[in-house]
Amino acid sequence: MSTPTLQHFELHVLLAMLHEQGETYSVPLVLALEQRTGRPVAQAAVFITLQRLERKGLVESRLDEPESGRARRYFALTPEGLTAIETHRAEHARLWQGFDRAFRAHKA
Amino acid sequence: MGWLFRLLVDDADRRAIDSDLAELHDYRRRRDGADAADRWLRRQRRIYPWHLLADRAGTALLRVTTMPHLWSDVRHTLRSLFRVPALSATIVLTVGTALGATVAAIVLTRAVLVNPLPYADADRLQWVYTDNPPYRFSLSVVDYRALEADHPAFSAVAAFQRTQVAVSDGDVSERVTARTVTGSYFPLLGQKPYVGRLFDASDDARDDRVVVLTYGYWARRFGSDPTVLGRSMTIDGARATVVGVLERTSGPLEHDVALFSAARWPTPTRKGPFFTTVLGRLRPDMSADVAQQTLRATNARLFPIWRSSYQDEKATWGLVDLRARVIGEVGSTLIFLLAAVACVLLIACANAVNLLIARSLQRGRELAIRGALGASTGRLLQYVLVEASLLTVGAALIGLGVAAFVLQLVGAYGGDYIPRIDEVRFSATAVAWLAGLAVASGVVMGIVPAWYGARLRMDQALRGGGRSSTDGPTPRRIQRALVAAEFALATPLLVAGALILASLDRLSHVPVGIDTSHLLTASVSLPRARYPQETSREAFWKRALERLAALPGVQSVALSDGRPPSESSQQNNFDLEDRPTPAGQHQPVSTWVGVSTGFFTATGLALERGRLLDERSLQDDVVVVDRAWARRFFPGEEVLGRRFRGGGCTTCPWTTVVGVVGDVRWTGLDASGPLGTVYYPFVDLSTGFVLVRTAGDPLALHLAVRQAVKALDPGLALSDVATGDELMAEALATPRYLTILIGMFAGTALILSLVGIYGVMAYFVQQHTLEIGIRLAIGGNPGQVRRLVVWHGVRLVVAGVVVGTGAAVLATRLMSNVLFGVSATDLRVIVGVPAALLVAAVAACLIPAQRAAALDPAEILRDA
Repeated sequence: MSTPTLQHFELHVLLAMLHEQGETYSVPLVLALEQRTGRPVAQAAVFITLQRLERKGLVESRLDEPESGRARRYFALTPEGLTAIETHRAEHARLWQGFDRAFRAHKA
Repeated sequence: MGWLFRLLVDDADRRAIDSDLAELHDYRRRRDGADAADRWLRRQRRIYPWHLLADRAGTALLRVTTMPHLWSDVRHTLRSLFRVPALSATIVLTVGTALGATVAAIVLTRAVLVNPLPYADADRLQWVYTDNPPYRFSLSVVDYRALEADHPAFSAVAAFQRTQVAVSDGDVSERVTARTVTGSYFPLLGQKPYVGRLFDASDDARDDRVVVLTYGYWARRFGSDPTVLGRSMTIDGARATVVGVLERTSGPLEHDVALFSAARWPTPTRKGPFFTTVLGRLRPDMSADVAQQTLRATNARLFPIWRSSYQDEKATWGLVDLRARVIGEVGSTLIFLLAAVACVLLIACANAVNLLIARSLQRGRELAIRGALGASTGRLLQYVLVEASLLTVGAALIGLGVAAFVLQLVGAYGGDYIPRIDEVRFSATAVAWLAGLAVASGVVMGIVPAWYGARLRMDQALRGGGRSSTDGPTPRRIQRALVAAEFALATPLLVAGALILASLDRLSHVPVGIDTSHLLTASVSLPRARYPQETSREAFWKRALERLAALPGVQSVALSDGRPPSESSQQNNFDLEDRPTPAGQHQPVSTWVGVSTGFFTATGLALERGRLLDERSLQDDVVVVDRAWARRFFPGEEVLGRRFRGGGCTTCPWTTVVGVVGDVRWTGLDASGPLGTVYYPFVDLSTGFVLVRTAGDPLALHLAVRQAVKALDPGLALSDVATGDELMAEALATPRYLTILIGMFAGTALILSLVGIYGVMAYFVQQHTLEIGIRLAIGGNPGQVRRLVVWHGVRLVVAGVVVGTGAAVLATRLMSNVLFGVSATDLRVIVGVPAALLVAAVAACLIPAQRAAALDPAEILRDA
């Protein structure tokens, strides 16, 4: 199966999940993305993106509803999700190859 | 939008989302404070449905654009639609125009009725008024000072007065609307300066005069020059310094306002006058009911202090949500308009479905061949749906243009009729509404033909050759039901249109009471700074009258402080000597108009009894009243010589009635009935209208009048120039505007419905050509055939019109507040309109009926 295409924000969410390691939910992801981008991030955007990634098979989720306490949907990266991140990274690395020298020449 | 959220997200995920939002809210409350966190949470909840919609729409779009054979279907369908240009254009134009008009109405209604006012914490802003049933009027400076000192229900209060000021700059002088506002005004609304500063509490006590400009006035008059701060302006003859420009805002409180000056109201010596608008922000834990009680308590404590100048113990203070106050009575009119355009959209869609059913029945053979060659049902469905989608896209594009155009038109011309008009704009929300409605219309237009395509009986369609009666009864039944529904929707619209037209007709025949032809009127305002004394104002008006009377072409000249039919400046209370108001009761109120002695000649208002006002009337304290006043207070009795005291004053001398004149409309043509008018001497008022009766065209004297006033005082500006006939037309503008709008909708509905019945009957004839041919061949006469076809169509129309008339009787009751002199259930309209509709429908059916009667049976039987 070919790796599904990833939108910019979808990649951000996947990277934030990778950083969180293991199962996580929308709140730590919102806070991590806000901290890293320096911009406010809507919980709606993160939660809906997670659902979309699940439809693409890149993350999986389970609902946790304790008798007392808050209901939560936990998300975790699937092996396909991990592969998608790696593929993107390799693609980007190839795209960026040789640019360091070009940048230096431009700045000089 | 909560319903959309519930529709798109299942229960378990909703609970998970709620707890995630609650956790983030806690975090933000600790970091940013409770207010900011609450605002954040409200915003998150508001944007959720939009994020969901964008996600679902994106997914759907992806799925559609990757469908197999889609692009070849699109190409083929486009070609086939261009082969039937009349049908395609009818559907795209009618549905598109109705979509655009509906979106414009939705945007307008939302901006005016639903959206919060553009002020900080707007839902807690209240308008405080003097409650003297049936009147609600502003407070006085005395009232505001008392509230400022004691307002347990509000976290803050502010007040303003609206005035007209003359701004002069060298030779150029213009009159603009200004506000004098308390230092608490801008903080209360949470407004910020664009440049410089706004007022605060320290400005209430300053000696020098300072002003804040609105963004619009700054841009218009100073070309957005940032060095305007510190500049000196002459306002009403006095120097004032610009200290700031208000941020760019589109709120109703800033509509038409040019500048704000700090309120330095003199210490009052009596309770009135009541010209001060008071606003308050309710405390977060305070309900409107409790706030009402605290207001009453404050008012009750204030009452005894000012009893000598105000005895109306029953009058108290009330409060109403500022938004409700701003919207006023326009709400029901807007909802009515929205319902009307929605009806037109439904009719347009029904019509489109009808045409598309006819088309898909004709295309049955083509679909059957495709099926016979191996196309699956799904594939056929896609083919049919692509057609509806392409028509929808065309309609949506037309709708986009129509909506933008209508909103621009309303913005340009609707300012006088619709509050909050500055907040109405074509935005992304409008596009979203258009997209949503277009998708809904597309589904409606596509579903029936698609359903028919999917159920097609191939063998029958191939055998039938498209001209038999074997298409099955269901599509025909749907077509007929749709035509009946179109008439059911069009009838109430036409009834409403007829009622409003009748109402406008009545209104334009209301006698205003004066001769409005050959009359030129204009407002002149004397700045307090240069005309501080009564004597200086009296001298000016005297000179002005002399100078204007000497102009060639002028027959007579007068002054007044109001203009018929809807510009009366005062509604005053008074106590009659012979009918004293019992203690604690409301005093009677009527319209008061200050007029110079020449007023009655200039306006052609005839004396009925007694005498008119003269030079000595002010000293003698005498007034003239109108017939309605005499009838209201002294029915069947002599009114001349009766005395009263005005304005709640107990120590003033008595005022005596010396004459009675005819009735004049001062409070609008549609006022339920005149409350009576008191004419008192206009001598030294600071603002007044000059009324000039001319021999020829009144507008020809406009320039001469302006120059005459300038010659007396170059610093004065003539404003609000209008002829008597223009004033009448202005008073009729709102009902005329409404009549044109409803008339347009009703006309469109009528045309669409007639197209619908014509189309169905033409199709009926086409489908039954063979039967008609046989009938004619075996001796049936053409007259019978004609009657048969017409009766077939009229049955449908009668069913629709009967249902529609019932709906009209129920719906038009909502209109009673916009009708004048006509009952919402006026029998002539309720019976006449459906009858006229039936006649029009018979005419539409006659064309296909005539075609059927003229068929040649020999030719039909040969072809068969």
